[in-house]
Amino acid sequence: MIFFLLPLLAMFAESVYQPTKGWVVHRYLEFFRQRLSRTVYVRSLLMGFSVTFVALLIGYPAAMAVVSVKNDSLRSLLMTLLVFPLMTNPVARTFSWHAVLGREGLINNLLLTLKFTDSPVRLLYTRGAVFIGLLQLFLPLMVISLTSALENLPKDVPLAARSLGASAFNLFTRIYLPLTSEGIVTGCTLVFTGCITAYVTPAVLGGSRVLMLSTLLYQKASITLDWTMATVIAVIMFLSTVAVNTLSRAISTIGVKK
Amino acid sequence: MTQSKWLVFSLVVALSIMLGPFLIIFFASFEPSSTLRFPPTGFTLSWFKKVIGMSMFQKSLLLSLRIALLASFLSLLLGVPTAYATSRYDFKGKRLIELISTSPSIVPGMVAGLALLRFFVLLRIFSIETTLLIGHTAIVLPYAIRSTLASLVNLPISVEEAAQSLGANPIKSFFLVVLPNIKVGMISAFIMTFIISFNEVPVSLFLSGPGVNTLPIVMMTYMEYYYNPSIAALSTLLIGLTLVIVLIAQKLLGISKFV
Repeated sequence: MIFFLLPLLAMFAESVYQPTKGWVVHRYLEFFRQRLSRTVYVRSLLMGFSVTFVALLIGYPAAMAVVSVKNDSLRSLLMTLLVFPLMTNPVARTFSWHAVLGREGLINNLLLTLKFTDSPVRLLYTRGAVFIGLLQLFLPLMVISLTSALENLPKDVPLAARSLGASAFNLFTRIYLPLTSEGIVTGCTLVFTGCITAYVTPAVLGGSRVLMLSTLLYQKASITLDWTMATVIAVIMFLSTVAVNTLSRAISTIGVKK
Repeated sequence: MTQSKWLVFSLVVALSIMLGPFLIIFFASFEPSSTLRFPPTGFTLSWFKKVIGMSMFQKSLLLSLRIALLASFLSLLLGVPTAYATSRYDFKGKRLIELISTSPSIVPGMVAGLALLRFFVLLRIFSIETTLLIGHTAIVLPYAIRSTLASLVNLPISVEEAAQSLGANPIKSFFLVVLPNIKVGMISAFIMTFIISFNEVPVSLFLSGPGVNTLPIVMMTYMEYYYNPSIAALSTLLIGLTLVIVLIAQKLLGISKFV
């Protein structure tokens, strides 16, 4: 563990003070003053929000469907299907989208055949491509978190609510949402922090056209060799994930107190 | 009834976003021409032959397997005693150990990779392969600890106490009683850590060096220069391999162990 924490502390120290250059705190200001890095940071956060939102929107009913399956073998098959993408080589998984979104991929061939367009549309290396890739990557995490939350929900509570005349809408907002809030917070935290730190998906589907925090970090570190800036980005990335984690813990403790 | 139809519909949408591309890349890897295309215009196995025969992929596959095996082994070697100590004894600094042993899963891979690179490669203490191994072990260790801890918690202390009251010393009871009982947890920890290490990108990205690259890194570099169905064929092989591992793991341990 010394091998892990020591380098980390050394890196944090270095992003603030360097023996040869003195204090370098101004590089943090530079990160937010430069348009490129600011755009990339905002883009990463927005991407995180939108992927989390859509994952929750699709994942919640999907998890309800998984939980409602009574047949044990069908249910374990579904769980296997959910776990399987998480275990797959990330480059292989992400590259699969090239066959869907590429110039001669599924969507372009479909559009051409249906005469919606005369020439192939550029779908790869767009924000949409990164979005769908991240959604594929993190949907399983969301569904799995929500499934375990829904499983812990006592079966007779929704039944009781319904027998007392609760409408479907009320049942959802008054029973399901509050009782599974912890699972929702966990799922959203996992997906959001995953989105702002993932490397393979933005690298393979966004390239240098759609830079994200992680791809910018790598560019600084290995192409422009601006080590201080790379370190600054790494620290900002780390602090952002810590902030999200702290925030979500605060939210779930408030939920418990209620 | 319409309500449950909506639920099933969203499950289908979720599964097709997650798994649909896998099916499409599977068919695209049989494309005879040299562009990545779906639907394919014919059928050939030549991309599979090509990709299996390429020495850069063979070399990096062997490196990835070596690192994944060693990192899983090391993480169990370090993780099982740590998990045992935290589950059985109360001591000063226990909270700290718990925090430290879970920290690699809180620190983003890119951040860890950069930190390790600056520390090891620039100081040049170890060879590239050793540095990769250290980085991977640090990444997978928390998973090894968590997995074995879960099965240790399920093993009542009274079992050990019984063994010791019958004359076994603590070391003997650990090896003869505790270890066999947490076998399932250890196997699932091994499979889990192996897969995580084998698929790891961000740390390897920074720690790989000239001629010493793990498979995912070589794939990403190759994709930058060549755009033909060979990566599709390789992806199909890797996806198929994962499917086999997941199915075996499920048969052996039950999928609940993984989630």
